[in-house]
Amino acid sequence: MMNIEINHAIAARARAGESLTEAELAELDSTDVLSLGMLADEVRRARTGTAVTYTRVFEPGPETDAPSLAAMAARGVEIRLALTAASLDEAASRIAHVRKASGPDARLTGFSLADLSARGWAPIGQVLAALRSAGLDAIADAPVDAVTSAEVDAVAAAGLGLGALSVRGVPDQRVTLVLKARAALAGRPWVSAFAPLSREQSVSAPTTGYHDVRMVALARLGLPAVSAIQVDWQQYGPKLAQVALTFGASHLDRVSPFDDTALGSRRGSVEEVRRNIVAAGFTPASPGTSA
Amino acid sequence: MSHTLAELQTRIETGGRLGAAEALFLYRSAPTWWLGGMADLVRRRKHPDGVVTYIIDRNVNYTNVCVARCNFCAFYRPVGHGEGYVLSFDEIFRKIDETLALGGAQLLLQGGHNPDLPLAWYEDLFRAVKARYPALKLHALSPPEVLHLSRMSRLEVPHVIARLVAAGLDSIPGGGAEILVDRVRKLLNCYGKASADEWLDVMRQAHRAGLRTTATMMYGTVESDEERLEHMLRLRAVQDETGGFTAFIAWSYQPEHTERGGAEATGIEYLRTLALARLVLDNFDNLQASWVTQGGKVGQLSLAFGANDMGSVMIEENVVRAAGAAYCMDEVEIVRHVEDAGFIAKRRSMHYEILGNPIIRERELPRQLALATARADGDTSVPAELASYPARSAAGKRQRSQPRSPVA
Repeated sequence: MMNIEINHAIAARARAGESLTEAELAELDSTDVLSLGMLADEVRRARTGTAVTYTRVFEPGPETDAPSLAAMAARGVEIRLALTAASLDEAASRIAHVRKASGPDARLTGFSLADLSARGWAPIGQVLAALRSAGLDAIADAPVDAVTSAEVDAVAAAGLGLGALSVRGVPDQRVTLVLKARAALAGRPWVSAFAPLSREQSVSAPTTGYHDVRMVALARLGLPAVSAIQVDWQQYGPKLAQVALTFGASHLDRVSPFDDTALGSRRGSVEEVRRNIVAAGFTPASPGTSA
Repeated sequence: MSHTLAELQTRIETGGRLGAAEALFLYRSAPTWWLGGMADLVRRRKHPDGVVTYIIDRNVNYTNVCVARCNFCAFYRPVGHGEGYVLSFDEIFRKIDETLALGGAQLLLQGGHNPDLPLAWYEDLFRAVKARYPALKLHALSPPEVLHLSRMSRLEVPHVIARLVAAGLDSIPGGGAEILVDRVRKLLNCYGKASADEWLDVMRQAHRAGLRTTATMMYGTVESDEERLEHMLRLRAVQDETGGFTAFIAWSYQPEHTERGGAEATGIEYLRTLALARLVLDNFDNLQASWVTQGGKVGQLSLAFGANDMGSVMIEENVVRAAGAAYCMDEVEIVRHVEDAGFIAKRRSMHYEILGNPIIRERELPRQLALATARADGDTSVPAELASYPARSAAGKRQRSQPRSPVA
């Protein structure tokens, strides 16, 4: 079997699920991309086996009618709201409307914690409590490079879940970002997923494939406390998302809720996702399974 | 025959050749990491300098009119179709001017099998290009196009090649190979344009004429794993014989808007296929990354799976775009991706001679965030010079007998 060209002591500590130091993570980040990926894949398989989970997400617009919301909810699709409201009252009203239309069992999530905080509508704890009262189940994401630990704690204090810790911008240093995520995860076992790839990208200079898969691998190796490393299927596309699975990712977020099979069943979104998971050597878990 | 990865690893590490059964075993059974690692080892052995090359050229499709009717192609239009076009010489000159301005030194010229473009049209075009741009290299006419001209002109392939070379042809691109297995070619409706033997023989003749060519593979349609391997092994055999291939380029079938439809092979399949090609094609020096079908990210990751070349800046692309892929990488992006992966970026010629450092290190170039197309939408102009050439099709004859509006 091919050898991993990596510091054996660091690899052993990573396999044991120990918390790697900044220097160790930096050494991993400087090793060749295949060796890094192989180690992250090994650690990920030891932790979660071959299962890859994915979340089908419906992002309703203002024109989405109640039957459509109900139909999505009935299929187990997560309904995720974007932050378009001009006020807290308007946001709560929107949540209440969607909750009523989609039913009590629907998983209703939405918003980036950083966006909510930036609105400055009220102290973040009050904002989150109001959204919870209106019917929200979870905040969609909390970017570790744009929120404070106190804001993350306010999510749980309000009785809300958190879809994933995420990353807003492109980090100057991957290791620094992993350490920041580790700090955000410390003492917060209720956060089960980290999405390490930037939500915001430059059109003229997007992140590279090497950066993305290194980021995923370092997240897997540097964050033993988090159960799932997540990649956004829609934003990163099938090819990079699939490759990321072999570098330590185990959950695909924002899979389309629509199954347009007009071009054949293999072109349906779920079939495409499952085909990519299998082709990467993994096993697709049930649709809608959360990380 | 049973194999172990350890045995085959030793074989690869010591420069031994893989047989068909061994390669098939690896393709089907070796972990992706293993394939990537071995391919990277071979790439490093062949290119120890850490250089990753690319070429600045433009991918110009002089016509989309085609009688071949391959069912995997979304680009072609049948004879007489309202969206069929032929570029004028002046349009091609303008494209060359734009290419030169971006530091390009080559035109990749390919097109449909248009029955209304005789051999003389190509000769005149090549001569006109060479007269205006003596230093420009013409990397033109894939084997099926050469065969099409051979059939239309009733000249043997070597004669057609000789005439094209005399007119200015510098090298031949490896398009139209798809999978070099006739069972597959018949199912793809491309057996008629060139059988596997015919494709290979055009390349053999080109090599004998002193031309260098590339070789390609479009996978992911109806072929089996064995047939993908047979494709590679047939190329390897010709390369043993002639040594004329400069590079191998694999890409996945792009299904959008095609008659065949279906789904595209995944990114991991691409990386595994590329890695296998690096191991099987031990007599090919260069493997290109197909960022145009895989995107920049997986295109860059190809460099860890055996590729040593980022292909072309392209500037323009029409065929893959018609089938749904619309990625773009200008020189800034190609260089950024090469360097981000830890390699040294160098411009090259079609012959893989190093031309120099990136142009962007010498002067500022306008960014290109989308590839150009053959023509603007709605441009139905007919080149005036076409009147000088006889048409074969009824539609072509009718068109050339009509009074023309001037070309824009």
